[in-house]
Amino acid sequence: MNSPWMIETKQLTKMLGGKPVVDRVDMLIQKGEIYGFLGPNGAGKTTTIRMLLGLARPSSGHIRLLGKDIRRERLDILRKVGSLVEYPSYYGHLSGYENLEAVRRLLDIPKSRIDEVLAIVRLTKDAKRPVKGYSLGMKQRLGIATALLGSPELLILDEPTNGLDPAGILEIRELIKSLPRSQGVTILISSHLLSEVDQMATRVGIISSGRMIFQDSIARLRKQAKSGIRMRVSEPEQAMRLLHGHGFQAAVESELLAFDDLPDAQIGAMVARLSEHGHLIYRIEESAASLERIFLDMTGTEGSL
Amino acid sequence: MLRVLSAEWLKIRRKGIWFLVMLGPLGAVGLQGLNYAIRYDYLMPLYADDPWGRLITNVTMLMLPSMFIGLAILASMNAGIEHQMNAWKQTLALPVKRRDVFLAKFFITSLLLLVSSTLIIAFTLMLGWLLGLEMNPPVVQLLQASYYPYLAIMPFVALQTNLSVLIHNQAVPLTVGILGTVISMFALWLPDWMPWIWPYLENSYGEPLYSVLAGVGTGAVILLIGMLVFNRKDVR
Repeated sequence: MNSPWMIETKQLTKMLGGKPVVDRVDMLIQKGEIYGFLGPNGAGKTTTIRMLLGLARPSSGHIRLLGKDIRRERLDILRKVGSLVEYPSYYGHLSGYENLEAVRRLLDIPKSRIDEVLAIVRLTKDAKRPVKGYSLGMKQRLGIATALLGSPELLILDEPTNGLDPAGILEIRELIKSLPRSQGVTILISSHLLSEVDQMATRVGIISSGRMIFQDSIARLRKQAKSGIRMRVSEPEQAMRLLHGHGFQAAVESELLAFDDLPDAQIGAMVARLSEHGHLIYRIEESAASLERIFLDMTGTEGSL
Repeated sequence: MLRVLSAEWLKIRRKGIWFLVMLGPLGAVGLQGLNYAIRYDYLMPLYADDPWGRLITNVTMLMLPSMFIGLAILASMNAGIEHQMNAWKQTLALPVKRRDVFLAKFFITSLLLLVSSTLIIAFTLMLGWLLGLEMNPPVVQLLQASYYPYLAIMPFVALQTNLSVLIHNQAVPLTVGILGTVISMFALWLPDWMPWIWPYLENSYGEPLYSVLAGVGTGAVILLIGMLVFNRKDVR
């Protein structure tokens, strides 16, 4: 493979009804990464993923998967890609085993692989039951088993924990984390919950209203979480003026003294000054904007979390 | 293509599809059985000149409407397997040609209908012998009465496959199928160029093969159109 990128999109755009649902997205995913693809509902995550899998046609832009053009070598690419798109697809009248068998026949791989993936998602016991009797979590696990069936190099999971209860979410997360990373599987996992991919992803891309607004390592995202110091004192206005007089940067925010992040020595000095002048200091706290906060600020959407 | 067909074969398990495949022929021949049983003493002298031929024609008259409705239901069930739980996106994200997936749906429906047509022959034979007709039936006529209409009805197999696969809401193809069945009952009053009359093998030239050829040709064209649309369609 000559391209280091497992997924590479250039100016990927999809117009629906004259409006761009996906707008000039440049996505880059390296081999071996777990890439968290984040965005509120309706931001264009699923549409992007559908285009990656060749299910929908881009209005413009290019897609390369595993270094190959999806339009020209779709079948070659899909042989090495496992996917789970939104809510699970399954044949309810068939058993779990038969569902996998139907896909196995299309992939043309040995039957033993079915038992292997059933064991990975711990469905061996329920394999003979019709899928319509499965719980949502089990269906989702079956979907992941289906995605794993072809021993893919690239795994694309769209909202794999959507609609699951906390126990189910945990289960799926553990499952994804336990996927053999040693084999160099690259994983793209989309979600509208930052907390969900926070613990798995090495890199994140955040999409909002069709535009990619952030794409970098999760550590870089955390750095954006600006921290600061808040101080509750008896007379904040006077205290602020006092501190300004001594050359400190301070502001009053809702009855609290607020500072940017400062080294310990400076804080100590400030506290000493304030005490000298008779200010009572009730509490000093560090305020770190949570990742959730940053995410919300970036996407500018309330209520999606 | 064979891989796709074998997967399709697996998917139609436990859907009651095989029951439906049996039901059509059983109904058509069974009703004629009832007809003959009730009016045996009246009908046998009436048909004395060609008892087998008359039996075959009678069965055919009941068979055709049940074929029209049966193929619509079969096509809808085959496509519905994917629509029901949004399995299209899974199937089409696998390394298979879209064309093959589409054609497999058509072939499975055609194959099931072929089984029905064959059963008609078997059941007609049984009924004939049960009625005490002579042991050697007119085999060619029997085969033609079943397989010619099968070929001539292909435009409808193609049409129903297209509609069922391309439209998520299966009420649409089924409505079209039911309307077609109704029209087919009055087909003998229709002009030659109307496809509904083709399965009856009636045309102004008196040559059943013309109807068969028209059916196969038109069917191929309709299927091709559906395939091209499916190839370009975004999957939900």
